[in-house]
Amino acid sequence: MRYLYALILYAAFAAPVYAVQVAYAVRSTEIKLLPYSDAATVATLDEKAKVNILLRQGGWVKINSKNGNGWVRMLSVRSDSTGKKTGDSGLISLLNVGRSGSSGITTTTGIRGLSEEDLKNAQPNPAELEKLEKYAVNKAKAERFARDAKLKTQQLDYLPPDGNP
Amino acid sequence: MLKRTLSISCISLLCSIPAHAFDFDFQKALDIAKKVQQASKTVEEPDEIEIGHGIAANLLGASPLLANDKVQQYVNQVGRWVSLQTERPDLPWQFGVLESTDINAFATPGGTIFITQGLLLKLNNESELAGVLAHEMVHVLRKHHLAALQKSARMDIASDLAGEALKDKANSAIMDKAIKAGTEVYARGLDKDDEFEADRMGIVIATRAGYDPYGLPAVLQMLDESNAQDSSLALMFKTHPAPHDRLSLLDKEMGDRFDAYTAPTQTDKRFNSEIARDK
Repeated sequence: MRYLYALILYAAFAAPVYAVQVAYAVRSTEIKLLPYSDAATVATLDEKAKVNILLRQGGWVKINSKNGNGWVRMLSVRSDSTGKKTGDSGLISLLNVGRSGSSGITTTTGIRGLSEEDLKNAQPNPAELEKLEKYAVNKAKAERFARDAKLKTQQLDYLPPDGNP
Repeated sequence: MLKRTLSISCISLLCSIPAHAFDFDFQKALDIAKKVQQASKTVEEPDEIEIGHGIAANLLGASPLLANDKVQQYVNQVGRWVSLQTERPDLPWQFGVLESTDINAFATPGGTIFITQGLLLKLNNESELAGVLAHEMVHVLRKHHLAALQKSARMDIASDLAGEALKDKANSAIMDKAIKAGTEVYARGLDKDDEFEADRMGIVIATRAGYDPYGLPAVLQMLDESNAQDSSLALMFKTHPAPHDRLSLLDKEMGDRFDAYTAPTQTDKRFNSEIARDK
């Protein structure tokens, strides 16, 4: 039942973050039938095995591989360096100066301004700082914002470094 | 480490007065030693906030705010909500989207956080945004930049920062020097361990706020897939450990500890409407 519910949820909300992406296993790991650690194990994914990532759900990714198909922990796979993107998005944006997007923040201005040199030579802009302070919201507004999307606080402590208990 | 470095410079300072070696001024030596000790002391919170605002004004000098009230408000609401889950909920937290195609985010002492338009456009959901903001918040909580600027600033500024000099508000020259030294930290970057700590604590803070714990790891995977030669990533890659290494550490640290926490289901709609993209 829990799985059925999860599947419905996932069908409704899982964002297709990856449009089939090639990756490889950084360690040997179990391939699960469903994205849960207590779900049935389908097979064992070999270290360095190539996988196709179909989508992500929480800490899990759905994969196809020579070892089998199913779900593995998202952090057990890493993008394939041979498949890394080439090109320069910054440059593309610069070339697109003047192009305006349809809405929201898509207007591409091509402003960079944040190189090492820019930061070293930056002169203060108090007017912008004043504007920034006006955007700040108070606690009550932030809490209302969380309630609007049914965000609930969860209790947990900070993690020890390096995964040591 | 800071103490030791300063002690060594103190000793070398004392040794560099050969001509007057015999009429050695003990009181002067004592004063210097006292100042050096102050450099490792904590900066008071109001001064921390003032230095942070000065650095923020400088960063805004390099890149102005994106002129979009809706987006700025949205990022402030996400950020302020996440900040309430930290051990310093009462700082004057404020968030700004910088109008830059560079992919980066910054935190200044006392609670000012910036994210570039370039990075915001790369994100897929509110959990990823929360993860990025939470990572930056840790730099504020743990006073990473403050420590880095105290370490890098000349001895006199560093000791004045923590000493009596700042109490005299007329002494703005020291503040100006600190702000300049502080801004340079952003060009150089923090210690790797500070970044790893910000990842490790950031995922916990975002999870406390009800977000998907894997928001920040998803952003790191996106960075890992990016072309390292991409000029919009130049400063971020120069000032941070490789995404691959950050992911490897998170893999070890997170393990199965986050299995019980789920992703929010009702934040996607507002993220998509606020952060409209050509897709």
